[in-house]
Amino acid sequence: MADIAFLLIVFFMVTTTITVDRTPVELPTSLERTEVPKDAAVIAVTEDGAVHFSDGEEDSRLINMEDLLPSAAFIMSKNSLKFFLIKADGEAEYRYIDQVMEQLRQASVRNIAMLTQQEGTG
Amino acid sequence: MSWKLKKKKESPEIPTSSMADIAFLLIVFFMVTSVFSVTRGLEFQLPTDQPEEQNQTAEEATHIRIEPSGADCSYTIDNNPTNLRDINVYLQPILARNPNKFVIIDPLPEAPYKCMVNVFDELKQGDVKNISIPTQAEKDAWGSIM
Repeated sequence: MADIAFLLIVFFMVTTTITVDRTPVELPTSLERTEVPKDAAVIAVTEDGAVHFSDGEEDSRLINMEDLLPSAAFIMSKNSLKFFLIKADGEAEYRYIDQVMEQLRQASVRNIAMLTQQEGTG
Repeated sequence: MSWKLKKKKESPEIPTSSMADIAFLLIVFFMVTSVFSVTRGLEFQLPTDQPEEQNQTAEEATHIRIEPSGADCSYTIDNNPTNLRDINVYLQPILARNPNKFVIIDPLPEAPYKCMVNVFDELKQGDVKNISIPTQAEKDAWGSIM
């Protein structure tokens, strides 16, 4: 029994990832999905337009939309190839995502991914 | 009569009776704390700010407009109303002639984000190389794109 228990421990230890962002959002669905880097910065946008930001190392924190530009620019000054993940609620109005993209564009961000869940899983 | 106790000879071993308890405690801990994080999505690259890359004029591009309509959205491609699944049907002959054709996704600010993702997903499946999602500020700078 202890063998099985340790096997399970090892499984959970290996599969557990420390997530920097725990903002609850209902992601949109897509058929096309590619793996994104694990150390990417995360921008979470909730349905009501609240923005949570994490640089990929520290836990995400609530920020104002206007503070996204300096935060993103600071990250880009250290690593110009940094990936930014947009983790936005599917029901959020596009205006919020538009604002996020505009800030990222101004911060000269190149690599962006929109997190989605597999279509068909609900 | 000797009161001296006879020393019992014990074979040395590690106490393992509590090991299973500890193991299960650790299992429960990892089960509770582990979250299956989403690490997949739709990747894209923003253009650089160099003006020569923005030489594509809006008139040459196919224009997909997304408007909110109840819980879902309505889609208009080059001013023709369409539904999501017909976007690629419309685009494939155009892409066959010009594989580098630009496709502009233009969601209204009130449209839900998922509709933009749906269109983006459709275009990715249709192997559209040049997808453009201009921000409101860019659209203002261009003037009206349609």
